[in-house]
Amino acid sequence: MKMVTESEWEVNVPDKQLKDKVYFENLKSVVIDTEMCSRCLTCAAICPGGITVVNNKVDFPDYETKCLDCGACVRVCPRFVYEPKSGLGDYIEFTAGRSKRFAGQDGAMVTEFIVSAMEMGLIDRGLFAGRDENWATEMFHVRDSEQLTITTLGGTKYTFADVLPELKKAVMFTKSGVGVIGTPCIVSGIRKLQQEFPIFREKVKLVVGLFCTENFHYDDISNFLKAKGVDFSKLVKTDITKGKFISTMTDGKVKFKVTEAEDIVASGCNVCTDFTAVESDASCGSVGSAKGFSTVVVRTEVAKKVIEFIRAKGHADFGDADPAQLDFLIGHKKKRAENIKR
Amino acid sequence: MKKVTVPEQSTVEKAVRHAAAIGVAVKESVYPLTATVQYPRQRKKMPDNFRGYILFDPEKCINCWECAFICPANAIRMKEAPNKKYYPTIDYGRCIFCHFCIDSCSGGALRATKIHDVAYKDMDEMLTLTEEMIEPPEIIREDKKLVEYQIDEKDLRLKKTREEDNLIVEKAPPPVEIQMVSQCIDRASCIGCHVCEHVCESGAISSSIANGVMRMKIDTDTCTGCGLCVKECSMQILTLVRK
Repeated sequence: MKMVTESEWEVNVPDKQLKDKVYFENLKSVVIDTEMCSRCLTCAAICPGGITVVNNKVDFPDYETKCLDCGACVRVCPRFVYEPKSGLGDYIEFTAGRSKRFAGQDGAMVTEFIVSAMEMGLIDRGLFAGRDENWATEMFHVRDSEQLTITTLGGTKYTFADVLPELKKAVMFTKSGVGVIGTPCIVSGIRKLQQEFPIFREKVKLVVGLFCTENFHYDDISNFLKAKGVDFSKLVKTDITKGKFISTMTDGKVKFKVTEAEDIVASGCNVCTDFTAVESDASCGSVGSAKGFSTVVVRTEVAKKVIEFIRAKGHADFGDADPAQLDFLIGHKKKRAENIKR
Repeated sequence: MKKVTVPEQSTVEKAVRHAAAIGVAVKESVYPLTATVQYPRQRKKMPDNFRGYILFDPEKCINCWECAFICPANAIRMKEAPNKKYYPTIDYGRCIFCHFCIDSCSGGALRATKIHDVAYKDMDEMLTLTEEMIEPPEIIREDKKLVEYQIDEKDLRLKKTREEDNLIVEKAPPPVEIQMVSQCIDRASCIGCHVCEHVCESGAISSSIANGVMRMKIDTDTCTGCGLCVKECSMQILTLVRK
């Protein structure tokens, strides 16, 4: 039985830019109204009140009366005090892999990473973004590799997923740890949560980042694709390769240049300079490796152990990857630093 | 093989034995030694901690839902009252009279009675709404005598007294004394949202802000261990520990 020890503690209260306003209004004026918001939903994950998404924007209906004014959203928002990151980061290993067990986008190495970490006993669940028949994302807690026979869990969706609110639930449920996959903005949000709250440092063990140029709001991309003649009931895969957005359906492909979709890119992506998810334990993407392979950038010891486990068990084929091939997209995203108005 | 025969008895002995038998018959007809309680004219005296019909006092309810959570028969449903609070309703069609709800009620809002004979016309009527739980239910009292079982040296006896038992227990038996108190197990993960402070009915949790630092405090003396803050904490870093 735990004994009653001290029953007093202290919480650091962040500074307010608008002194007499609640914290959400501060967040709104600094991040959301300035179109800096990446819609990573770190704030929604931590908010004990009701931060949610309304019309593709992070919002808090009736925040004047309902905001508890705790400042947690401001503490965890990666864009409230924005430190843009770019490049590849310090990596231990740069390689290419193709999973022998799973089918996904390219080499399915992200799935392989999470499942192998689960088999190692490092984590007891992984968060995957699945989709419904209309390609709207929904989050899944995967606790067994058998669950991955649901084919909709793999593959890229090019629309936002509510990873972080689900991550908080996972952190509450988990016994040994959680593995999570995310775009660079989500990874930044996780790191910020970990920096502020020890519970996330303890429980989030593996963060796999995805290479990301930009993302789309579900309404925007679905209307856009429908206008291009994509039938969602037949759609099996979406992919961006060499500047082309390719929608593979059961009866053919619809291709167009990504630049055509420029107008519907989420506003937060215009100020994002991070292509490779620099803060992640390992990041994956198709750029930089041969067809059918995923490029894997291993940055931390945890991820190194996982990749060595995959090698030892022979769960994946490994090939060559070329960091130079990433330079163009890294540079392309680095230029977006100009859009940051502060 | 031995045959059992009637013992040899003298006439006097026989007469004495017959007289004794007649005596027992006369005694039983005048003052019968039966263990049966003649309900409803007689009513058995129930102990004060008898698990009967449950009464509810909304004034004492702290809205912790513990009764509904603990009910093993799922008989308790919470319903929203006009004052926006949620109060329990009991479906006596499901209730198994374990009184876990009463034992777990940290505000002391639920109370046991000795009433065990409420009649219902149909199953729907057995769903007892909060309003009906405040006052004891209407039951028809025909009992004239209060019966108590007594065990004397030889036999079980019924002690019958001409009085009406009070079925409402005025003073409940003292609850099992396990004093619990709320404690923060991961103080660094506190987001400082004060939800615990807002829900605390006893005012045991307080906070103060000075120089950009919020100080949270749980007063272990006033904390009743009701567990409301534990349920509401969004980071789930509060827990109940023994005092």
